[in-house]
Amino acid sequence: MTEHHDPLALEAELPSSLMTVNLGPSHPAMHGTVRLVVTLDGETIVDAVPEIGFLHRGFSKSSENSTWTQVLPYTDRLNYVSPYLNNIGYVMGVEKLIGLHIPERAEYIRVLTGELARITDHLTLLAAIGLELGAFTVFLYAIEARELLWDRISELSGARVTVSWMRVGGCANDLPPGWGEKLRESMVRVVELTNEIDVLLTRNRIFVDRTRGIGVLSGEEALDWGFTGPCLRACGVNYDVRKAHPYSVYDRMDFEVPLGSAGDTYDRYFLRIAEIRQSHRIIDQCLEQMPPGPIIVDDWRYALPPKKDVFGSIEGVMAHFKLITEGIQVPAGEVYVFTEGANGELGYHLVSNGKGKPYAIQVRGPGFPILSALPRLVRGHMVADIIPIFDSINMIGGEVEQ
Amino acid sequence: MAQALIDLLRETHPDAVVSSHSHKGDEVAVVRREKLQEVCRFLKEDPRADLKLLAQIAAVDLLTYSTESTGGAALASIEVPAYDLARKPAVEPRFQVAYNLGSVARKHRLRLRVELRSDDLKLPSVTGIWRTADWWERYVYDMFGVEFVGHPNLTRIMLYPEFVGFPLRKDYPVRKRQLLIPELDFPDLVRGPGPGPGGAGVPMSQTHVGRKNVDPTTYD
Repeated sequence: MTEHHDPLALEAELPSSLMTVNLGPSHPAMHGTVRLVVTLDGETIVDAVPEIGFLHRGFSKSSENSTWTQVLPYTDRLNYVSPYLNNIGYVMGVEKLIGLHIPERAEYIRVLTGELARITDHLTLLAAIGLELGAFTVFLYAIEARELLWDRISELSGARVTVSWMRVGGCANDLPPGWGEKLRESMVRVVELTNEIDVLLTRNRIFVDRTRGIGVLSGEEALDWGFTGPCLRACGVNYDVRKAHPYSVYDRMDFEVPLGSAGDTYDRYFLRIAEIRQSHRIIDQCLEQMPPGPIIVDDWRYALPPKKDVFGSIEGVMAHFKLITEGIQVPAGEVYVFTEGANGELGYHLVSNGKGKPYAIQVRGPGFPILSALPRLVRGHMVADIIPIFDSINMIGGEVEQ
Repeated sequence: MAQALIDLLRETHPDAVVSSHSHKGDEVAVVRREKLQEVCRFLKEDPRADLKLLAQIAAVDLLTYSTESTGGAALASIEVPAYDLARKPAVEPRFQVAYNLGSVARKHRLRLRVELRSDDLKLPSVTGIWRTADWWERYVYDMFGVEFVGHPNLTRIMLYPEFVGFPLRKDYPVRKRQLLIPELDFPDLVRGPGPGPGGAGVPMSQTHVGRKNVDPTTYD
């Protein structure tokens, strides 16, 4: 006690110093392996530095030493909760290099499976944000819905998550008989469960208090940070690659792009629910409009010949052999192809020198720029707000760290 | 639509654009390195261009572009880079850095490309124009070793600081090994102060007892 101390003072400044706290890399709430070095003043966040790369697998380097087809399984592992969308983005890039047009039915199947993947991705976010804010029921509902869809996906491709099902020129096989009906039934349950989550969280006082006004970003600033997808639309910017640059058969689909206004965690959460409903509409339309026909191009320079021809004709054997050993001979060129991934614009920068292997591949994971803005989002908030903000940007380690 | 963008750029910055072309539906403008910042600022702020979204910065190393072998054995071989390098002619400018830009309001796209010689791998940073350039430039530096002049924190992003070399360059072998990194010598709450695994006298880990380190010149 100093002599200047006033014994009558009830409130005095508590001397404090900044504290550094490590979040992750192996922390269940860090979704993968991101390390966040947070500087705290009491409970207020002064600064946060994300450190990534713990999951770096050398996607680009591995891809440059594989054939164009062998890259496909690597793309599954970029975003492991919506692998179809990564497959689609990649094969669309290769088709753009070749200048290949794929059969109409394959386009519909791509849109259909892509939207399925989008729903599973959004359900993952809902599960995580619920669980990490203490709503375990929400987690169970979301995971039940997601498993239901993964059952349908595994009937299609044989794998729940790492599907590798798209092919250059189409897709691997046709929909199994009766699969569409099964999917319709599953979707009813998925929407029901989504509605349950909506009821449990959207007007829940605790949830709203924890998320509204937290991690706010203006539309202009979000664009400056490279935000795309639901995180950008939560700020009120109407940008969806499916509408702005319609690819595949999205121009024939009747759907809306839900928009937020506040750009906070709550809007980013709620857009996911709204988008699941829109994806459901697209899936219904796909099932209705899907024409019969081939599902892969009939051009043996790019697509494997049917097994009947491989075993029955010399041309088939040769085409098969050349495709497997030498890979698809993609003409030389450089393209940037972008599609709407579940969390934003998924871009592939592909370079071919015309010799059977990708000369250069670099991927734009939508989470990469969004994660780079995390310090901006959390600064000034309390330490407990990190988790909902981090959940709402839905960073996927695989695509960010490649 | 994007052709109009290139015309606009040629009109306002005639000495900045080296060449431009349309390739498989993508519009590309090759710009001079000295003018990059000026062009970027113009493209972002001019309402006719409105390229507010920097989607990606990607780089290409052209070292083996025309010499790379293909097919059969070459696909399976880990020695492909060495094979190619022995026959490589000098390729200059060796590196290309591509800026994939987009506009939300006008719905057009443009790719800016800068060509770099391998003896002068420097680019002006565009972090002052797009905030998102921060991490993309760190990524390109990490993978290709392109130095972005004016970047506030140009450090490795995916890899660790002790990593030697730039993995996406074509002369970096696919299966090259790296030295094991000792733990930093700092007081540990559990173990107490002193050197950690890999530090003075402490083996790297149980699997490396009796072995000092790996030979980075070998393949695994």
